[in-house]
Amino acid sequence: MSKIRGGNGNNVAQEPPKKLKKVTFWQQYRRKPLGMLGLCIVVVYVLAAIAAPIITQYDPTKDLFLADNLAAPLWMKNLSEKYKDAPVTISKTVDLDGWNVTEGADFSITKTTYDEEDFMLIDMPAASSSGEQDPMMEILKDIYTPEELAEMFGASAAAKTSFSMDFTFPYNYSPPNTFNFTFDYAVEGSSPEATTVARLLIISPSGKEYDIWGMDAYGDWPISYITVDGRDVPVKMRLGLGFFDDPSKIILSEKGDYKVKFMVETDSSTGAKIYITPVKINIPGLLHGILGTDHMGSDLWSQLIYGARISLLIGLTAAFISVFLGTTVGIISGYVGGAVDEVLMRFVDVLLAIPSLPILIVLSALLGTSVWNVVILVAMFSWMGTARLVRSQTLTLKERAFVEAAKASGATDGYVMVTHILPNVMPLVFSALVLRIPSAILTEASLSFLGLGDPRVPTWGRMLQNARGFGAFTVMAWWWLLPPGLALTFLSLAFVFIGNTVNEILNPRYRERS
Amino acid sequence: MAMLEVKDLTMYYKTLRGYVKAVDSVSFELEKGKALGLAGESGCGKSSMATTVLRLLPSNGNIMGGSVKMDGKELVSLSEEDFRKEIRWKRMSMVFQGAMNALNPVHRIGDQIMEAILAHENVSKQAAKDRMLNLLDMVGINPKRYNEYPHEFSGGMKQRVVIAMALACNPDIIIADEPTTALDVMVQAQVLTAMEGLRKKMGLGMILITHDLAVIAQTCDDVAIMYGGKIVEYGSAKDIYLKPRHPYTMGLVKAFPNIAAEKQKVRSIPGSPPNLLSPPEGCRFNPRCPMATDKCRTEEPPLVKSQKGEQKVACHRESEIEEGVDIWQ
Amino acid sequence: MGFRNYLLKRLGYALLVLFIILSLNFLLFRIMPGDAVSMIMDPKFDLATKEELRSQFGIDQPIGTQYIKYLKSLLSFDMGRSFNTRRLVWDELKERLPNTLTLFFASFITTAAVGISLGVFAAARRGTFAENFVTGAGLFAYAVPGFFIQLMLLMIFGYYWPILPIRGTMSAPPPPGAMAQFLDRLWHLILPAGSLMVISFGSWALYTRNTMLEALGQDYIMTARAKGLDKKTVLYKHALRSVLPPILTLIFMSLPGAVTGAVITETIFSWFGVGKYLIDAVMQQDYPAAQGAFYLIALSVIVSNLLADLAYGLVDPRIRVGGGAK
Repeated sequence: MSKIRGGNGNNVAQEPPKKLKKVTFWQQYRRKPLGMLGLCIVVVYVLAAIAAPIITQYDPTKDLFLADNLAAPLWMKNLSEKYKDAPVTISKTVDLDGWNVTEGADFSITKTTYDEEDFMLIDMPAASSSGEQDPMMEILKDIYTPEELAEMFGASAAAKTSFSMDFTFPYNYSPPNTFNFTFDYAVEGSSPEATTVARLLIISPSGKEYDIWGMDAYGDWPISYITVDGRDVPVKMRLGLGFFDDPSKIILSEKGDYKVKFMVETDSSTGAKIYITPVKINIPGLLHGILGTDHMGSDLWSQLIYGARISLLIGLTAAFISVFLGTTVGIISGYVGGAVDEVLMRFVDVLLAIPSLPILIVLSALLGTSVWNVVILVAMFSWMGTARLVRSQTLTLKERAFVEAAKASGATDGYVMVTHILPNVMPLVFSALVLRIPSAILTEASLSFLGLGDPRVPTWGRMLQNARGFGAFTVMAWWWLLPPGLALTFLSLAFVFIGNTVNEILNPRYRERS
Repeated sequence: MAMLEVKDLTMYYKTLRGYVKAVDSVSFELEKGKALGLAGESGCGKSSMATTVLRLLPSNGNIMGGSVKMDGKELVSLSEEDFRKEIRWKRMSMVFQGAMNALNPVHRIGDQIMEAILAHENVSKQAAKDRMLNLLDMVGINPKRYNEYPHEFSGGMKQRVVIAMALACNPDIIIADEPTTALDVMVQAQVLTAMEGLRKKMGLGMILITHDLAVIAQTCDDVAIMYGGKIVEYGSAKDIYLKPRHPYTMGLVKAFPNIAAEKQKVRSIPGSPPNLLSPPEGCRFNPRCPMATDKCRTEEPPLVKSQKGEQKVACHRESEIEEGVDIWQ
Repeated sequence: MGFRNYLLKRLGYALLVLFIILSLNFLLFRIMPGDAVSMIMDPKFDLATKEELRSQFGIDQPIGTQYIKYLKSLLSFDMGRSFNTRRLVWDELKERLPNTLTLFFASFITTAAVGISLGVFAAARRGTFAENFVTGAGLFAYAVPGFFIQLMLLMIFGYYWPILPIRGTMSAPPPPGAMAQFLDRLWHLILPAGSLMVISFGSWALYTRNTMLEALGQDYIMTARAKGLDKKTVLYKHALRSVLPPILTLIFMSLPGAVTGAVITETIFSWFGVGKYLIDAVMQQDYPAAQGAFYLIALSVIVSNLLADLAYGLVDPRIRVGGGAK
């Protein structure tokens, strides 16, 4: 580094000629520790990008609600008191085999399908009169028809058939933010005036019963999609809670085995067929995976891994297009010279004078946000530096003997440019390419961060944007912010290391400039 | 007693790969008003020599030993501040190689000369300015141009400005490091003549560093030939130029055509200068010397009085070389 | 006189760039699919407004006439009305411009001051921790996305230690008293301006260090040292003075970058400025607003480029006095 005055430096640099053997690029490259570090980092990213589906089991954009929104990473339970007992997502579908029938075990309970969905079919027989009934009804039943009796004594007076089943699930965490049950439910074959009452209850380990859902069906009931969410107001009302109370905090405040009980009761004289799909129970976890979840309950780790694909793709493609453009313009401008050179270089000057991010913002808004628009826009506004560099190199090459010789022997300009100039500017172009990549990656990240990226693809810039926009700050979700930022940093640092090393080897004279 | 006495001066550059032995146990003397030429190939340590004497070394240059005495006063042990105030420019000034860059492009030349005066002498600005104008006049530059910038002058004129600047504080010694290298031949001659005239007139001592033996022959009283950080031959300019005794000097003299001489082969010395990180064992010239023996490869020759001439020579086989025989044939 | 010619040349060039950007701005909003007015037209407008807009845009006139009309209107800062607020775009920009300028100058001055002095410091103390720090910071600034650093700083100082305001240019409602208001604004300025400084001082410091080292290796520095000048004089009068032209050029050349940085910074810290206005307009497809904000930003970039040329010419005697080519 330091300049030794008086030419002693020459002595240091001069090796006996015999030692000067031709070394390949790779032989030189692998001796540079920073260059190798950069290369290793890039290899890791490339592997992550390729093996993304293996590294992470989730789709970053399609798999939503994997856990509660803004769930923390699993390892946070070791770091923070707040997450010590926090729940991980409990999600299971309980079909017929999972239920334990406690009443009406003698009914015909079968599995069936309807409209390509699995159902449990509970065939409730006609209401028998042997149940507990008003004694008056017994006396009067010979005089009146059952319909008339029902009218006189109300539904409760009629004969009833009941069925109930339950299943147990363990819950050993602190209360979640919500819980939900989903299933389809239908009643068929009931007499029109009959009432079929269904209930869903949660029974806590200490035996408290919470009636979270109920439906009174008069006659037949079409297939309806039932969803019971801890945050729903009807649930709160059923439980007698206030508007701002949180059922999940109350119901799931205990640790142990919870029971979910499904009950159905009908007074149909013709019996009733109860259709119910396997019940899906979901308690969104407050802890999830390696990096937690975003505001849509989507897996952040998978977004991070898939983000490598986009960053590499955009970085490489944009850099390639940009350097291709720059090289073409630079060679033509330098080689042809004259008015062409003047026009091209003024054009370069003008483009350089245009503030690139604002125009990228405006253009991407006008053209619409897609990955390819971003690539092309980033490339369009970044090739000018390369053009200048290549042009100046071309200018010196043009004067060299081999170019003169080629021209003298009648080669066309195009031929000379491609076969003589291009190979000689390649070292320059190559390092320009590598050094263009990080800036392309960062520009894309900035655009995504501003919300101008493709909304369909997961990028690190978008992760950062979401983190800012959807509350990562208020819950101090640094695990949402740090990984994409660091991923960007290391990737661009790696390319800077590689670029500088390549430059050092291929273009020692230009070292100072870049 | 000589005005400047350099004895066993040793200066190494510290690098990551070890010490670069740029100046290794070098001794010479300079009498008042005399000129000493320091010659050698580029990279032989002659410029390092100059910067060592003026203590302008880069941070990795270390003086490992030896002494530099001026009028009997030791300079190596002098504190940096005292050296700066008392010696630099006041006693010893320097004309750097590369006339183009020795002047700061963003300051007016007059200011740059006055700056040197004001840094050392407690005189009024006006007095400094008067002296500056006088100096410019002396070196043959129109004093009216004092408030121009360096880029407005030609190379030769810039070098004259540099010389004027070197004379600003009436030093006793000027160290001129390749003062004319960057100039074209005609201008070189003009600058050299001007410098010689001024030097004689003012009774200055000078150390002239150059690779051009002809220049030294014209202007210097004594010559020291350096090779690989060491002086290999030291004596009067006439003796050395006409009757070199060291094989290297012989080669060097041959390498410069003498316009006056008829039909002479110009030949360069084969091989390249030694790597001063790990200089050759024994005589540093041995890998390139046509006369090298085993002794030359193991034992370092001392600089001693020549057996066949007046100068001092560091060569084991000096006595075997007959006068007039071209060992480089 | 060389300097005047130089200046005229740069001025002409700036006008050319301005013209091209204006044309680009014109074309961009017209090459889009569909007719220009329906594109710019807010569907919420009633028929009368639509008719008025149509005549205002003169869509029936030939493109050349439209273009000239457009140029005239923009030169008088007539940028039309915002779809969202129905207010004149220029009025809205005028409200935001002082905020942007405040943020811009605050961050720019601190960045330049910190960056340049660190660079000089590092160059003067080669091989020390200071130098490594500056080199590292420079690399850091180049490779780390700025908005990421800003987000981290926001999280740390706005949420983890909530000592600084997280958004806006002042408290709402503002505290009583002029002094209190001033301090309140300053307090709001710290995080945006400070974070801009953090993300960009490194490249300044590195650049200054490199040019200083290059200058310190020059022969004239050796001359200055040989002249017996003290260290300070050598460092400041000779080395720093001689690198001022490139550093000054850098100052002005980084103005456009600073404008760009301000767009993101304003978005992050909800700073009520022109950059955020551009982003909001783009997001809400408020085209007149976007066009106006872009025009204003482009104009400021051109002006700062011109200032860079001017400053370079003033500080470099080779241009100021003439003779030497650039």
